[in-house]
Amino acid sequence: MRKPFDHKLFKKVLVMLLAGGKGERLYPLTRDRAKPAVPFGGVYRIIDFTLSNCINSGLRKICVLTQYKSYSLDRHLRVGWNIFNSELDEFIENIPPQKRTSEMWYLGTADAVYQNIYVLERERPEMVLILAGDHIYKMDYSELINFHIENKADLTVPCIEVPLDDASRFGVVGIDKKHRIVDFEEKPSNPKPLPAKQNIALVSMGIYLFNTEVLVQRIIDNAKKDSNRDFGKNIIPTMIKKDHVLSFVFTDNKTNKAGYWRDIGTLDAYWEANIDLVKANPDFNLFDSAWPIRTYNKQYPPAQYLYGQEKKGMIRDSLISNGCIINDAFIERSVISPDVIIGSQSSAIGSVIMEGVRIGKNVTIQNAIIDKYVTIPDGMRIGYNVQEDEKQFTVTEKGIVVAYKEMHLI
Amino acid sequence: MDTILLVEDDKNQILLYEQEIAIEGYKVVTAMNGLEAIEKARNYKPDLVVMDINMPKMDGIESMCRILSEHRNIPIIINTAYSNYQNNFMTWSADAYIIKSSDLKELKDKIKELLIKKKRKDNEKTV
Repeated sequence: MRKPFDHKLFKKVLVMLLAGGKGERLYPLTRDRAKPAVPFGGVYRIIDFTLSNCINSGLRKICVLTQYKSYSLDRHLRVGWNIFNSELDEFIENIPPQKRTSEMWYLGTADAVYQNIYVLERERPEMVLILAGDHIYKMDYSELINFHIENKADLTVPCIEVPLDDASRFGVVGIDKKHRIVDFEEKPSNPKPLPAKQNIALVSMGIYLFNTEVLVQRIIDNAKKDSNRDFGKNIIPTMIKKDHVLSFVFTDNKTNKAGYWRDIGTLDAYWEANIDLVKANPDFNLFDSAWPIRTYNKQYPPAQYLYGQEKKGMIRDSLISNGCIINDAFIERSVISPDVIIGSQSSAIGSVIMEGVRIGKNVTIQNAIIDKYVTIPDGMRIGYNVQEDEKQFTVTEKGIVVAYKEMHLI
Repeated sequence: MDTILLVEDDKNQILLYEQEIAIEGYKVVTAMNGLEAIEKARNYKPDLVVMDINMPKMDGIESMCRILSEHRNIPIIINTAYSNYQNNFMTWSADAYIIKSSDLKELKDKIKELLIKKKRKDNEKTV
């Protein structure tokens, strides 16, 4: 049961959203932008999902800590998320490194917060919710906050059950019967399974809810040591020894199974998470009116589908955004962003096509990611011949072909 | 002989502290503001810093953070006439917070204690 909404409570929580990741494994999508600013699901950016979680959970004091290639993200936040009322003491602020405490860039996740301690001082929140800007999930943080307060925790770490084979990519958590975290290993080579389920492990979602004073004390202690200045690698392992650190298992309220949560770490994972959206009743449903995902979009006319003389046009299992013109083309299992024009007799199968892409006539594309403003000339074939594709595109392990933003094709 | 960096903008207080700390058998280096303190910390590599907060050019809190970002292991004692800075999160980076008093016993005891602690830590590292 969801608890009644407590406005006073939510004013006591400050969100620090870490959006500084370079996202090297998402290259070339991160060639011109930070990972949280990478477009996703046709009209969104990756960061929109976490920000939507915040407003749907009633949290309206948000600091976004940026670092690399932050122009695109900064612009998105400025034009798209300038929706809070500062007179009501709500805000979303973009904070690039201020270099107040040192001349260094952020060394790790904990250092990003350490270098911004003065923000905590100004706001004096009782709790700080640390979020990552590069995860796709829907989570009601108010349940987490209530759990944290009821159990008088110093730190609560949301965790999720994943298959044991996948667990070595994450921070693997061991808990006792009272949800207390007794064991924490960041990216272990031999992850430990849950006692009750031998093929499942509990992993950290990279989200942390701290009592402010404990957070400040621990990141200051950490800043004085030789360490990676990372929550997962340094702060959490130290804290489980001396503080009251609990886990909060993230489950879907409707199904009681592990909730949908994806760390979009690689191009293949990015492609899969996009293509997951096109199914009927997908695991991650964008059409859920109880949990709206908001974003910023330019105004475009409705999408237009033209049925030409050849009468080969067909669209199935796809997301098509506003402003597109699809001229007698065949589209299947694809996510098409706004302002895309696809010429006649062309086809796109299992592809993610971003804003402003122009696809000529008789083009065939499959299993591809085409970044913004790429023009694909008439008759081109993408995704059918690896040797050919590798000459000009990035091709992933699973054979997904990626064209970078404004790429010039021949 | 351990070196102590004394950061203080009041000349009379410098004279007093310098004398009193030197009597305990330490070498004293002085700086008159936060900016000068950063430079002296680089040049003299002190074993401990005694830091005032209210100073011209750069205050003690910012100076402390910058010194710590360059030399993580130097113990820092904040020595100020005001108690309210204790609410300031950044001052939690200091190893001790002392409110100025004419009796310097508390300050002297803290210096001794923190230097012993630091030596123990340094030894642990070399072992």
